[in-house]
Amino acid sequence: MDQLLTKAGALYKDREKIAFSAMLIAGSVAFYFSYAPGIIALSPPDWISGGWIQGFEVVASYNTVGFFLALVLMAFAYGFWSWAFLPEPATIYTMGVLRGILGRDAIIRQAIGKRFRILLDGGSHIDVSCRIKGPGGEWFLYRLTSSRYMHNNLEGIAFRHGMSVRDGRFTSQISSDELHSRTLLLAKAMMLVNTT
Amino acid sequence: MEEEDTLRSVYELLQLMSSLNETRRAILLALGHIYPRSVSGVQLSRLIGYSGKSRSLYRGVLAHLQEDKMILIDQLTPKLYSIRINNEHPLLGVLVTMCRAYGKEAKNIYMKALEEE
Repeated sequence: MDQLLTKAGALYKDREKIAFSAMLIAGSVAFYFSYAPGIIALSPPDWISGGWIQGFEVVASYNTVGFFLALVLMAFAYGFWSWAFLPEPATIYTMGVLRGILGRDAIIRQAIGKRFRILLDGGSHIDVSCRIKGPGGEWFLYRLTSSRYMHNNLEGIAFRHGMSVRDGRFTSQISSDELHSRTLLLAKAMMLVNTT
Repeated sequence: MEEEDTLRSVYELLQLMSSLNETRRAILLALGHIYPRSVSGVQLSRLIGYSGKSRSLYRGVLAHLQEDKMILIDQLTPKLYSIRINNEHPLLGVLVTMCRAYGKEAKNIYMKALEEE
């Protein structure tokens, strides 16, 4: 794996640890603030007999609702953070490789959600989306998707470039060390579609 | 004309193979040589000298190769898969033809590795 990506992977692991410990602390703080000011019970349904109610008052209270809300918010913030951002060295790697093939002044737009869009001449584009960790435990996977085409031999062209077609777009899931060579192949396939 | 078509296919095959990473290249070469035999995940990981778990091979590399229709995976039982190269693929068909014509010795080596259980 490329050195930048190794760095990015290590950075990601570190950040995961930091986020986890921060969440532990924030969780305990949220717990304290939810239950310290006194329990405000939800009104228990009247079919529960008296002895149970006192126990239920702690469990089924606005405090619990608030506490879980805080936990959900934290989980959501963490989920958003890991969905949206790529560690910086990985971004540098991706941009560097893409610029390497498509030229210094290629127009590459970076979007939130670890996505890149390369605008090519003639209105077509290539979408590159990155995944930090794949299901097989592989680091930094990319998915390439081209713009949509109407062509009667789209599938044939895709096969000859090692890709498949999904609703009129060339698409392929690739590993980080294939990013250069297979983006090149995709660009070539798109040229073929445009000229034939 | 026919020769030009063949050359074109070989060029494209060469380009495809060199665009793939080491693991994928090794998988396609091994499967191309032993065609029409199919192998299980464990056998495949031994053929290509893969050190990781074969389960991670399935969920990563093999799933992607299957998505691009380069290999075919049949599930025999919940835990046993049979993996073979897709001979209908326009370029890999060429690879299989070449392997069958010129790859007898390499095939023997692969087969020997398979037999050593």
